[in-house]
Amino acid sequence: MKILGLISICITGWLLLSAVSDFPEWGDPHSPANSYQVSQHYITKTFAETSVPNMVTAVLADYRGYDTMFETVVIFTAGIAIIGILRRYDSSSNTINKPESFTEKPKEDLIIRTNCRLLIPIIQIFALYVIAHGHLSPGGGFQGGVIFGASFILLSLAHDLKTVQKKLPEGRILTLAGTGILIYAGFGFATIVLGNNFLDYSILSKIMLGTPIEARSHSMLGVEIGVAFTVAAIMFSIYSNLVSGGKMKEGL
Amino acid sequence: MVLNIICITLVSLGILFFLGGAVGILRFPDFYTRMHAAGKGDTISIFLIFLGIAIYQLHDFSVANILVAGKILFISLFIMLTSPTSTHALIRAGYEEGLKPWIRKPTKGQPDS
Repeated sequence: MKILGLISICITGWLLLSAVSDFPEWGDPHSPANSYQVSQHYITKTFAETSVPNMVTAVLADYRGYDTMFETVVIFTAGIAIIGILRRYDSSSNTINKPESFTEKPKEDLIIRTNCRLLIPIIQIFALYVIAHGHLSPGGGFQGGVIFGASFILLSLAHDLKTVQKKLPEGRILTLAGTGILIYAGFGFATIVLGNNFLDYSILSKIMLGTPIEARSHSMLGVEIGVAFTVAAIMFSIYSNLVSGGKMKEGL
Repeated sequence: MVLNIICITLVSLGILFFLGGAVGILRFPDFYTRMHAAGKGDTISIFLIFLGIAIYQLHDFSVANILVAGKILFISLFIMLTSPTSTHALIRAGYEEGLKPWIRKPTKGQPDS
């Protein structure tokens, strides 16, 4: 059986490696993806049109902002679906399916708690940095939001689910998740109200300071913040529902 | 030239420690000793490798490169904090679940010491 596995791995690896030679060269300007007109436009004109150096974010949050808005909605819907499936509000059947070892609370651990106290502020600052730098360097709302949500997950791992819920009750998490999409869609509707297309940020220079091009850059930052709100809140919501079996009483 | 030698030495040492950690995970008899090998080996090897990379960055001595080297050292500091903590958390979880540590069985003819 082991030899069979080895043979199959070798064949698969050989197939994958033989397909590598069919790829276009790294950075080849004549490859199909690069020779198409749209990518030429993005590569040459992104900075002139949006004053955003990171063209990935420019494509994500500006040129295809509509797509990204509904990606955020997808994450929100996933969180809502998990709440709908897992969340239990009755407290009577609390101790039925519980093994004995889980009922008594283990002693809190000094080393883990101290390290988390040390690390969580750094992680959160780094998350804010990733969000705020999304339009200048690699990063953005999704990544920063996940890091921010992970910091809360770390806190609830080190202490308790209740410790986090004191700071961030369930209702407030969902409010934050909705607020994120509201911020994103709000940017879109503000552009409509001012007389442009949905999510065409350049008109926002009328209420923001600066030129229309700078307004696009600033609006991308705002949109990323909205994405980060939703992602961070939904990450922690999914975690807390999964870990407590939907009862939100005690986690791991 | 001197920098290159220092870098290569550090990275090779790091890889050596990594190898030790991997062998330890495979060869040690039980959960606790394996986690011990993983935690110790990975922490020191990642620190050494990143130190080597950070020193390599200082080939062209400029502010930007010092910044990059500092960031690399910060990553290694982060790993030095988190890797032992996670190992500790795992071992503690095993201990609380009542996992028995491995003890050498007394061989025949020899008193158990």
